[in-house]
Amino acid sequence: MATKTDVLVVGGGIVGQVAAIEIASSGASTIVVDAGRDSGSTANAGSLHVQMQSRFMRLYPDQVPALEASLPLYCAAVREWDHLDKKYGPFGMVRNGGLMLAETVDQMEFLKAKAEREHRANVDVEILDRDALDEIAPWLGPQIIGAELCRNEGKLDPLAANLRLREEASRLGVQFAQDQITSIDERNGMAVAVGSTDTWHADRIVLAAAWGTGSLLSDLGLAMPTKPEPLHMNITEPCAAHIGHLVQHADRSITLKQLSGGQVVIGGGWPADDRRMARVPGVRCTSLVGNVALAARLVPSIGKVRVLRTWAGINTTIDGASTVGPVPNAKRIIVAVPGDAGYTLGPLVAKMAASFVTGSDQPFDAGAFSPARFAF
Amino acid sequence: MTKNDFTFEGRKIAFRDGLTLAAALEDTGERRLRYTAKDGQRGIFCGMGVCQDCLVTVDGHPNQRACMIRAKAGMEVCRQTALPALETAAQPLETATPEVIRVDVAVVGGGAAGLSAAIAAREAGASVVLLDERKTTGGQYYKQTAGDIAALDTQQAEGADLVRSAAASGARILSGTEIWGAFDGPLLLAETEGSAVVVRPKALVVATGAYERPVMVPGWTLPGVMTTGAAQTLWRSYRTTPGKRVLICGSGPLNAQVAVELAKGGCEIAAILDTAPHPGQRLGEAAAMALADPKLSAKGAMLIAALRRRGIPVRHKTRLLRVDQDAERLRAVFEDARGRETAETVDAVCMNDGFQPQNEILRLLGAEMTYDTRYGHLRCTRDRAMATTVPRLFAAGDCAGLGGAPAARIEGTIAGRAAAAFSQNRQTVDATAAENLALARHRRFQDHLWRVYDPGPQDIDDIAPGTMICRCEEITLAEAEDALNAETGHLGTLKRASRIGMGRCQGRYCGPVAARLVARRTGRPIEDFSFFAPRIPIKPVAISVILAVEEVLGGDED
Ligand SMILES: Cc1cc2nc3c(=O)[nH]c(=O)nc-3n(C[C@H](O)[C@H](O)[C@H](O)COP(=O)(O)OP(=O)(O)OC[C@H]3O[C@@H](n4cnc5c(N)ncnc54)[C@H](O)[C@@H]3O)c2cc1C
Ligand SMILES: Cc1cc2nc3c(=O)[nH]c(=O)nc-3n(C[C@H](O)[C@H](O)[C@H](O)COP(=O)(O)OP(=O)(O)OC[C@H]3O[C@@H](n4cnc5c(N)ncnc54)[C@H](O)[C@@H]3O)c2cc1C
Ligand code: FES
Repeated sequence: MATKTDVLVVGGGIVGQVAAIEIASSGASTIVVDAGRDSGSTANAGSLHVQMQSRFMRLYPDQVPALEASLPLYCAAVREWDHLDKKYGPFGMVRNGGLMLAETVDQMEFLKAKAEREHRANVDVEILDRDALDEIAPWLGPQIIGAELCRNEGKLDPLAANLRLREEASRLGVQFAQDQITSIDERNGMAVAVGSTDTWHADRIVLAAAWGTGSLLSDLGLAMPTKPEPLHMNITEPCAAHIGHLVQHADRSITLKQLSGGQVVIGGGWPADDRRMARVPGVRCTSLVGNVALAARLVPSIGKVRVLRTWAGINTTIDGASTVGPVPNAKRIIVAVPGDAGYTLGPLVAKMAASFVTGSDQPFDAGAFSPARFAF
Repeated sequence: MTKNDFTFEGRKIAFRDGLTLAAALEDTGERRLRYTAKDGQRGIFCGMGVCQDCLVTVDGHPNQRACMIRAKAGMEVCRQTALPALETAAQPLETATPEVIRVDVAVVGGGAAGLSAAIAAREAGASVVLLDERKTTGGQYYKQTAGDIAALDTQQAEGADLVRSAAASGARILSGTEIWGAFDGPLLLAETEGSAVVVRPKALVVATGAYERPVMVPGWTLPGVMTTGAAQTLWRSYRTTPGKRVLICGSGPLNAQVAVELAKGGCEIAAILDTAPHPGQRLGEAAAMALADPKLSAKGAMLIAALRRRGIPVRHKTRLLRVDQDAERLRAVFEDARGRETAETVDAVCMNDGFQPQNEILRLLGAEMTYDTRYGHLRCTRDRAMATTVPRLFAAGDCAGLGGAPAARIEGTIAGRAAAAFSQNRQTVDATAAENLALARHRRFQDHLWRVYDPGPQDIDDIAPGTMICRCEEITLAEAEDALNAETGHLGTLKRASRIGMGRCQGRYCGPVAARLVARRTGRPIEDFSFFAPRIPIKPVAISVILAVEEVLGGDED
C-alpha cells in the first residue's frame, strides 16, 4: 500500500498534534502516523517547568550547559501554552508559579546560585525564606527553611489538553493513522516513510517520534541519542483545592501539584521498569513508596488522602536541549523532539518545526537546536 | 445487647455492637452517604469494600468506607462531599513502624478457599499468615455474624466451624487487613486500621473471591439500589434489612437464596426478575444438575419450594429497564419477554447478574489468564496443584474463575498443601484422587446450575445510551461511545479520552463493559489484554500508610 499526503507527521504526542494543527491550518493535507505505544504525552504529569530542575542537574551534570542555554526557550514555551489555552482550552491550566524547596542551608545556597543564573536569563525567580513561604504555602512541612519561587511555572491537565487538541486537529481535517515507521528517506523529490502496514509519500515529513526518532535518523547521517526513560507516577483521589503551586525540591526528585479536578499528582522522575511490551506496567515498589513518602514529608497535609493509581510512562532524553530543524542530508525531513520537560516545550517546538514546513515566521530562533549537531 | 450512639450529620444514631457504620445507618433508614462531583448521591452498593460509594467522613477523616468500618460510640460521621477538605496544619505525619512478617505461606483472603488453604498449609507444617480485609473471616459464602448475634443457619454454622478450625490450626489470622500492593518476590503491602503491614512469604496463595456483576440501567447508582450480596450482608451479618419492600433482579442462584433470607427477615419481596427462561424450559439441565450433586440440588429444590410457599413471584425472561426516585422510595420499571412494561414501587432494588473474580493480585504478578466467554470473565491458568504460571503463586476459589464455595474449599486445601511443600523445598503434592473426584463433581454441578441461568454479562445493546457505566467518574455509555468515535484504539485510549475507569473503584465495574465495548468496535476478541491493566494500589491507600512502609523498605530515587 502507498499513501500520499502533503505532510506526514510521525508521532502523535503533544509535538505531533500541535505540529499537525499548525500545518493543517496552512491548508496542507496532513496525516499523523503513530505506533500507538509509550507516548510520554499521555503519561505525563502536566507540570509547566521553567526553572532548571534539580533532578536533571544532579543526574545529567554534563547536560546542564545545554539546559541553561535553553532557559529563554522555556519562558517562551510557557507563553505558548497560555496562547493555546486561550485558543483551544480550557486545559485546567493555572500559572501560580513553582516552588523549589530547601531543607538545609546547603540546599538554600544551591538555590540562590541557581536563581542568580536564571535571573540573568530573565526568568522570573525569587528566593523566599520560611516566613515568606508561610504567606503563600502554609501547608509545607515544618522542616522546610525556604524555597525558590519561579513565577513563570504552572500546571495543567494533560489529558484534557490532549483531547481538545486532538479534536481541533480532526476539525482541521488532519487524518490519524496507526503504523510503526521503520525507515525514512528522500526519494525522487519526495520524503518517504516506510511503515509496517503502509508506505507514506509526502512533500515533507515532521519527525516527532520522541524515543523512536534516533533509530530513524541513523541512515541519514545523524546519531541522535534519543533514549526511552521509564518514569513512575502517582495520583490521589480528589480533595478540596489546597495546593496552588507546583512543588519541587532542591535536592530530591519530586514534582507535586493539585490538578483542577482536585487530584494530587506526585511524580518527579522516579524510575520504573522498562518492560515495554509486557502485560503489566513495570511499577517499582521502591519508587512508589519513596516518591509518595517524600511527598508526605514535604506536604504533610496530604497524609490522609488516598493514592488511587500509579503508572509508568516513557519519557525521552537526548542531550539536554531540544532538537528542531531539517535533517542536513534530507531537508524534507524535519526533526521535532523537545528537550527535558518535553510537555512544557512541546507546543513551541512543534510550532518551530511547522514553520520549517509552512515557511511562516519562526516563533523562536531554532538556530541553536538544529539536528546538525548530531552529524557523524 | 449494648446500646451506643454516634452522630451522623449531627443527628444521634443508636447502634448495636459490631455493626458497620453502613449497617447502623441503614438500620435507621439513612442511606444517602456521599455526594458525587456531578451532584449525585450515593449509598451502600456492594457492601464489601469494592465500589467505594459508601464513603463518609469520620472524625474529620474523609474517604472512609462505611461498609467496612465498625461503628464506635462517639464517632462523628458526616456525608462525604465530592472534594473533602484537607487539614491545613503542617504537622509532620506520625506513623507506627510497620510489622514485617516473614512466613512460609501467606494466604490472601479468608473465605472458603483461604481458610481451607491456611488449615492445609499448617497441617503440612508450614508457618502461615492469613490476611483478610473484612473484620471477621468467613468470606462471602461463610459470612459470619457481627458482635454476639447467633448463627442464622447451617451455612453460617458450618462457616463458624471453619473459622474456628483455622484459628486452632496455629495460622496467624489478620482480619481487617487489606492487601493494596503486590510485587515480585512476592512482597505484599497491607493496611490495617491505618497502619502498614509488610509480608514476605516464600509462597503465596491468593483466595480473594469474587464480587458481583451489576445490572446497568438508568438509576442503578441511586441510594437504595444495591447488589444482592450487599443486602445479604446487611441481613446475615448485621440483622438489618434494606427497607420493607424489595425487588431483586439479574440472573443467578444467589438472587433466590437472598430473596428467601430477606423474606425470613421480614421483607416483602415484590418479585425476582431473571433474564433466563423458566427452568422448566431447561429440564434436562435441572436433571443433570441433580445427578451431579443430589444434595445441593435438593437444597435448590427446597429453595424453590420456599419461594413458592412465601408467594415470592419469579418473573423469567424479564429485565430491569430503569429505576426512578419516587419520593423516598424507588420505582423499578421492567420488561418481560413480550415487551410488556411493569413497575413496582419498593424501598430497595437488589441486583446480581453473575460474578467477577477479584483477580487483581494474580494479574499484577503476571499470572496467565484466559477469557471464559460463557461467564464473561477471566480464568486463571492453574495446574492440578493450583499453581499459577508464576512461580510461588497459587490461586484458589472464585478469584481464579467462578466455581462456588464447595469447590473453593477443596481448591484451598490443595493449594495450601502445595504452597507449604513449595515453601519448604519439598516436592509439591498434587491433589488426592478423592479431592479430584469431589472437585470434578462440584464443577459439574456448577456447570449445570448455571445452565438454568444466564451466567454471562448484559448485552451492550441492551444498555440504554444514557446509562452511567462508570459509577465513579459518572460517564454514560453514550459518552464512552463518543470517546471511541473520536479515537478508536484500545481500552487505554478510551480511558484517557473519557476518564472511564479512573475513579475510586479502579475500573472494577466499568472495566468489563468497556472491554466488551472496545472488542465490539474493533472486532478483536476479548482476552487478558482487553481489560484495564492492573495497577497498584489494588485498593486506594492512604499516603500515611505508604510513608510508614517507606520507613522499613526505603525508596530508591535514581
Ligand atoms: C511519567 C512522565 C511524567 C512527565 N511529566 C512531565 C511534566 O510534568 N512536564 C513536562 O513538561 N514534561 C513531562 N514529561 C515529559 C513529556 O511527557 C514528554 O517529553 C513529552 O510528552 C514528549 O512529547 P512528544 O510529542 O515529543 O513525544 P511522545 O508523547 O512521547 O510521543 C511520541 C510518539 O511517537 C510514537 N512513535 C515512536 N516511534 C515511532 C515510529 N517509529 N513510528 C511511529 N510512531 C512512533 C510513539 O508511539 C508516541 O506516541 C513526563 C514524562 C513522563 C514519562
Ligand atoms: C457478596 C457475595 C455474596 C455471596 N453469597 C453467597 C451465598 O450466599 N451462597 C453461595 O453459594 N455463594 C455465595 N457467593 C458466591 C461465593 O462467594 C463463593 O462461591 C465463595 O464464597 C467463594 O469462596 P472464596 O473463598 O473463593 O471467596 P470469598 O468467600 O469471597 O472470600 C474472599 C475473601 O478475600 C478477601 N479479600 C479480597 N480481596 C482482598 C484484599 N485485597 N486484601 C485482603 N483481603 C481480601 C475478602 O474480604 C473475602 O473475605 C457470594 C458472593 C458474593 C460476592
Ligand atoms: S458499599 Fe462500601 S465499598 Fe461498596
